[in-house]
Amino acid sequence: MSAVSRPRRTSHSGTSAPSAADSALPATPLPAPAPAPAVRPREKRPFLLDFFPLDTPDQTRLSAFYDRLRTGRLSTTRCPKDGTLHWPPRVACPDCHTEQLDWVDLPEEGRIYAFSAVLGGAPLGMESEVPFAVGLVDLEGAPLRLFGRIEGRPWNELQIRQAVRVETYDVGDGRFFYRFRVRD
Amino acid sequence: MNVRNVALVGGVTTKFGVRPATWSELAQEVGAALFRAVPELRAEEVDSLFVGAAEPERFAFQSHVAPLAAEQMGLRPSRIIQRTELACASGQSAIRSAYAAIASGLSDVAVAVGVEKMNLPSMAEANTAMACVMDRPWDGPHGATAPPFFAMVAQRHQLEHGTTDEQMAAVSEKNHRFANANPSAQFYEKKFSREKLLHLPVVAPPLRLGDCSSMTDGAAAVVLVAEERARRYTDEPAWIRGTGQYSNFHNLAHAGSLTDWVGLRHAASEAFDRAGIGPDDLDFAEVHDCFTISEIIEYEMFGWCPPGQGGRFAADGQGDVGGKLVVNPRGGLLGCGHPLGATGVAQAVEVVQQFQGKVPPARAVPHPEWALVHNLSGSANVHSVMVYQRGGAA
Repeated sequence: MSAVSRPRRTSHSGTSAPSAADSALPATPLPAPAPAPAVRPREKRPFLLDFFPLDTPDQTRLSAFYDRLRTGRLSTTRCPKDGTLHWPPRVACPDCHTEQLDWVDLPEEGRIYAFSAVLGGAPLGMESEVPFAVGLVDLEGAPLRLFGRIEGRPWNELQIRQAVRVETYDVGDGRFFYRFRVRD
Repeated sequence: MNVRNVALVGGVTTKFGVRPATWSELAQEVGAALFRAVPELRAEEVDSLFVGAAEPERFAFQSHVAPLAAEQMGLRPSRIIQRTELACASGQSAIRSAYAAIASGLSDVAVAVGVEKMNLPSMAEANTAMACVMDRPWDGPHGATAPPFFAMVAQRHQLEHGTTDEQMAAVSEKNHRFANANPSAQFYEKKFSREKLLHLPVVAPPLRLGDCSSMTDGAAAVVLVAEERARRYTDEPAWIRGTGQYSNFHNLAHAGSLTDWVGLRHAASEAFDRAGIGPDDLDFAEVHDCFTISEIIEYEMFGWCPPGQGGRFAADGQGDVGGKLVVNPRGGLLGCGHPLGATGVAQAVEVVQQFQGKVPPARAVPHPEWALVHNLSGSANVHSVMVYQRGGAA
């Protein structure tokens, strides 16, 4: 039989992608807490029907992540003790459980590991975006394989190993999120 | 502490499909059907109720569903009353919890029921509920739902192992054909040839409509009892001999290769070790074919064929009658539909009904002794396995 005996569990820290030295990414300080980013006043929408995260400091301890997205940077946390790079960013290391974590900016370039497209059956608020491509992308220079939208080509022109880059975008109400775009 | 043997003595499912019925009405329906299917069962002896329900908050805007289900079914549990939620494996979680309660002596007679109401007037709302199974603030905003994720799994399996759309259609054709012999299946009356399946619309490339299980309303229930009580209900119980479960990630960033389901190998190993059997000892298996590619990878992870050969195994009919073992004689999730909380319970109903000789000849497995039930949940990040043995001595 091919089933195997139970080994030590795999880490939850994002170790599945091809390896690269985590330490190659310099730790970067948090953005200055003030002034507040110039965002439009927000309509209070029911969170029940809204997929984008609540990004403000009164709702999340990771508001620095979203502040960095507004400056065009995709970042995450890294454990200063064991050097593990996390995804998504965390408030506590899953391995050593320290809550003192560093912020690092992630590489902007990557390559598609796998992709598909949503041609129907989209959730509320996304129906008008159909068809859209999604994929898993191996970042170049960081051991992370991130899931996200892929823009810039119709889904049926995408290729495995295709070069993409990270971009951040305004969700439409002042919140920012990230996605991938095919590199020319 | 001694662990008691646990018998699954009977069960029943409602009709699966697009049902003109609410969550509570499905619970009432399955309760009434259970007392007809297990006529020796008395409501007052059911000391515990485990309710598998994945997303009643989303699909029915209803929480605290365990006492709701008890009331609908006419039960007043005096020992354990709880809901089990594990997305697509919520039903098997109910059975595993009932098993643990009886094995430990906390319960003597338990009912495990699964109920899901998924079809809503707005299917976009239903799709939103499905998307909440993923890591919502990180994977959700990109539009992650099950079809595009399993489509990527299929893409990688096709790339790495040469698996074809035709091999995936072979899985779907087999399971739909078995469903044609199962009146409670959603697609009982619909015929799907391989040719027809290969011309259905693409949902998430390379997956076509026939590669995907459906949004389904339905309920299923089983009765589990301690060993010394089993013969009061039936001469042909299904004995729970082994269980295994493994959870190794949640965010899609940690899905690894996509095609090596490490968690399933661990869960299967645990279940086989506890049962004292191996994969070659099974007569049939009810596995989680939420998508055709899932069943193909499951053939490999359970060890019924070498890694990468699942597509060929399907095309050669090795999971069909006359093959290595019969896989999904109930009709699978593809043919029966997939009411999330009910699926795992309905698979166990199939096991006990096969053991008791209560299924139509077209899907009857000859002389079964060992059977297996498998559910994955979410993005195949959790795997749950149970091994059953037919009647005989405890």
